[in-house]
Amino acid sequence: MSTNHLFRARLTWTNLGNGLLVLMGLSVVLPFFWLILGSFKTGAQLNDPTLLLFNPTLENWNEIFRSGVLESTWRSAMVAFITVIFSIIIGSMGAYAISRYRSGGNVARFSILAAQVLPPAVLVFPFLEISYQLRLNDTVFAVLVPHLSFVLPVVTWFLIGFFDAVPREVEEQALVDGLSRIQALRKVVIPQVSPGIGAAAIFGFVLSWNDLFYALILAPGNSATLPVKIASFNTFRGVELGAMCAAILVAVVPVLFMSFFIQKRLVRGISGGAIKY
Amino acid sequence: MKGVKVKKISKVVRLIAATTAVAVVLVGCTSSSEEPATDTTATSGTVRVLMEGVPDTDIVSGLLAEFNAEYPNVKIEIETASYDQMRDKYVASFTAAEPTYDLAILDNPWVGDFAKAGFVKPLDNLIASTNGYDYEDFTAPLRAIGEADGQIYGVPFYNYALGLIYRSDLVSVEPTTLDELAATAKSLTTAGRAGIAMQPQKGYKAFEEWGNYLFAAGGTLYTDGKVKLTTPEARKALQTYIAMYKSSAPKNSLNWGFDDALRSVSSDKSVMMVSYNWMLPTLNNPEGDSGALAGKFKLATMPGGKQVLGSWHWAIPSNSSASDAAWAFVSWISSKAGEVKRVTAGGAPTRTSVFNDPTATAKDPNYFTTISKILSNAEPLCQGSNCDEMINAVGTELNAAFAGKKSVDDALRAAEDQANKIQAD
Amino acid sequence: MYEGVQMSLRLRLMLPLVVVFSASVGYPLLHAFYLSLTNYKITSRGDTKIVWLQQYIATLQDPNYWSSLRVTAVFVILAVFIEFWLGLFVALALQKQRKIKDLTRSFLLAPMFVTPIAIGLMFRFILNQQLGVIPTFLAKFGLAYDFFGPGKALFTIVLIDVWQWTPFMVLLLLAGLEGLSKSPFEAAKIDGASALFTFRKITLPMLMPVISVAILIRSLDAMKIFEYVFAITRGGPAIETMTIQYYTYQTGIQFYRLGLASAMSYLMLIIVMIIAVILFRRVEATRKNQ
Repeated sequence: MSTNHLFRARLTWTNLGNGLLVLMGLSVVLPFFWLILGSFKTGAQLNDPTLLLFNPTLENWNEIFRSGVLESTWRSAMVAFITVIFSIIIGSMGAYAISRYRSGGNVARFSILAAQVLPPAVLVFPFLEISYQLRLNDTVFAVLVPHLSFVLPVVTWFLIGFFDAVPREVEEQALVDGLSRIQALRKVVIPQVSPGIGAAAIFGFVLSWNDLFYALILAPGNSATLPVKIASFNTFRGVELGAMCAAILVAVVPVLFMSFFIQKRLVRGISGGAIKY
Repeated sequence: MKGVKVKKISKVVRLIAATTAVAVVLVGCTSSSEEPATDTTATSGTVRVLMEGVPDTDIVSGLLAEFNAEYPNVKIEIETASYDQMRDKYVASFTAAEPTYDLAILDNPWVGDFAKAGFVKPLDNLIASTNGYDYEDFTAPLRAIGEADGQIYGVPFYNYALGLIYRSDLVSVEPTTLDELAATAKSLTTAGRAGIAMQPQKGYKAFEEWGNYLFAAGGTLYTDGKVKLTTPEARKALQTYIAMYKSSAPKNSLNWGFDDALRSVSSDKSVMMVSYNWMLPTLNNPEGDSGALAGKFKLATMPGGKQVLGSWHWAIPSNSSASDAAWAFVSWISSKAGEVKRVTAGGAPTRTSVFNDPTATAKDPNYFTTISKILSNAEPLCQGSNCDEMINAVGTELNAAFAGKKSVDDALRAAEDQANKIQAD
Repeated sequence: MYEGVQMSLRLRLMLPLVVVFSASVGYPLLHAFYLSLTNYKITSRGDTKIVWLQQYIATLQDPNYWSSLRVTAVFVILAVFIEFWLGLFVALALQKQRKIKDLTRSFLLAPMFVTPIAIGLMFRFILNQQLGVIPTFLAKFGLAYDFFGPGKALFTIVLIDVWQWTPFMVLLLLAGLEGLSKSPFEAAKIDGASALFTFRKITLPMLMPVISVAILIRSLDAMKIFEYVFAITRGGPAIETMTIQYYTYQTGIQFYRLGLASAMSYLMLIIVMIIAVILFRRVEATRKNQ
């Protein structure tokens, strides 16, 4: 009797849970579906949002490739890549020291957290003024340094957590076994932390890739990154709606692919260290 | 013997004289390339300019071939962007080490600030040295917009004065007063169609549209050099606007801007709209988005005859890398002949002489008569500095009144106070 | 000798971090403070003067500034609240899932990886009265809801944020759930505890440190909201969706008043730091209680 009651109860919760997942799934998929449809529609066809069967046009896709979306994608990728490389290298060095030697104490930890939560509005204005002075405004470099300002702290913070999760004994054992500290790091600590490094790198990349605020203000013209380019489809005349859909898909699809491949690693990586904080 | 020496000397003298003469001619030639008046068609350079994605830009692109027939060595590269992006891109170019643009078009609110910041050059000397340019031929309000501190920083490119666009098959009598406009809109409102598509969107759009209502009510924006909106005319204009929004505008259109209103009118969901005068040809275009409605639209002045004026001006950035070539283009396209070409192709006029030109006005003489009337009595929303900020502040307060969040008097007072505070800085 | 080696190793490890940090965060922070004491305007860069606390006073006296702080606070509280509870249930459901786990997870986590401006523009048109698929759909049932109208715009922005960032909460909470040790749950099952009981008495308390961190990060992140306002409402109707980051952007970039905007953002920074310290201490407390 009681087992039946328990069985039904669990089934109901699971059903509710699955129902929720389906709903969430639909709410994620439908907007993207609409985007895909819209990117193949002409201006007139876009006036009817429920139009499902129509003659598709490639004009929107041609337009965005003509309008420099690819160049801005390349710029975004370059900035994100360089930012992440720097952040991982510098961040992991510092994170190791903070984790193992408590370098900087609480001040270091808090500063890193504080830098993550700093409103970008504070830093963007000095960056802009400095870029004017250095005659570097509207260049890719003008965007790179500000991106470091928020990616480096995030990556370092994650890595501190991951290094913390590696027990000291493992390292001590390696030292006892005759390895130098550097070798111990390479052979023992790094392999343990590498899923975490992967997760942090991905996070950092996405943060930089998605940034609009800094890029909009510091490089609005010639050196626009992809989010700025997408924002430029925000139009005065609705005729550009199809091109906008296409531009958004250019930003979205690579990321979706990525999310497909990394979610497992991300979950494992994060549960391994960062939130143990 | 003496004869031979004389011959030799005179040969030398002749040689020296010839060399000097050649040198003088050469020097004369090179220096004259800096004075556009003398041998301009030899000017060369690449001129990069950023323009908005509007019909008048397409018309300019279409005229480039003719321009290059006269100026074969000047290459014009037009980049288009949406309005929102243009100003920031220009400011970035003006402040960069290497300019991205060698020629600029300025929207009227920007002129004062850019002139004061030294972003663009004064054009007085260039205008004076260009034969037959006739700067005075531009209508007076348009000239005034491009001038700051007694110098000319921009010459008119095209105007976007507003007017009343309506369906001639539904509206038989053009309203001559604000009350008549309200009554007409209300009487034409049916279940499937609104009497008038309005653009109450906070900021620029709200003020741009409401300004016309203010003028229709007999009001003014500036009194004694200061913004004064706490007047009975302004109050009536605002009350009428709000009443019209509630009774005659499409449902839930409080944050409608230009494209929403245009879509509504061109798809037979609204009868009228207050919009840019040059939208008429676009609406009446049989190949455009209006479909079956093409040809049914007409343009009238706002009731009362006065409307809001907007305009774009050609300007040369202070850090331009091709000033001469840029001026060659500007002087060509904004000359009397260039204007006729532009307007014949459908561009919005800026010179008084073009209204008398039969080729330019051939397509629709009535339309041009109306535009001539519109341009003769039009005023921009803002004069002086910090115009972007002033227009946004007034437009936000107006939107608050439209939404019923502030009373008419409170909104007008707040708009006036903020506008004056902003422009005093 | 050992100590000496350790010291120099520590120094070498920390130095690049300290240098880059100072250059990219520390120095700009100080420079921002300097700017906030001037009357710097982009259109009159040559005439910059020090005006001491004038910009701060102007900011504190600006009713629009207080309004934007309020709007931001309301937004953050609403958004994070919904995201937390929704995220928690989704994470629990995901954890229980047996089949097609990876596919579901990648779908559900996808929105958080997309650039927010794209999401903002997407919803701007999905919810557009004339062109949007949702109002058209609602109209078929005779319903008309003005998503960005007065009184509703802020909540719509909240919903957009929920759509994009609930996956982030899901990610953190799921990672936390999967990291919990199994034994208390097995014990509870043997003892015949109901699902609700297990959830309330075991799951939640054990998850507390993760929950605190997740709410901390998300809240501080939500305060930076800018893209949706930029893409859709520009602060409207009137100033209903004027968040602090957008207001500062408007003041400094659209109206050229960089000095004033620096003061505005510095005040905001102080507020954010105070909140961060409070939340930080709370997280520390929960961690110590574990």
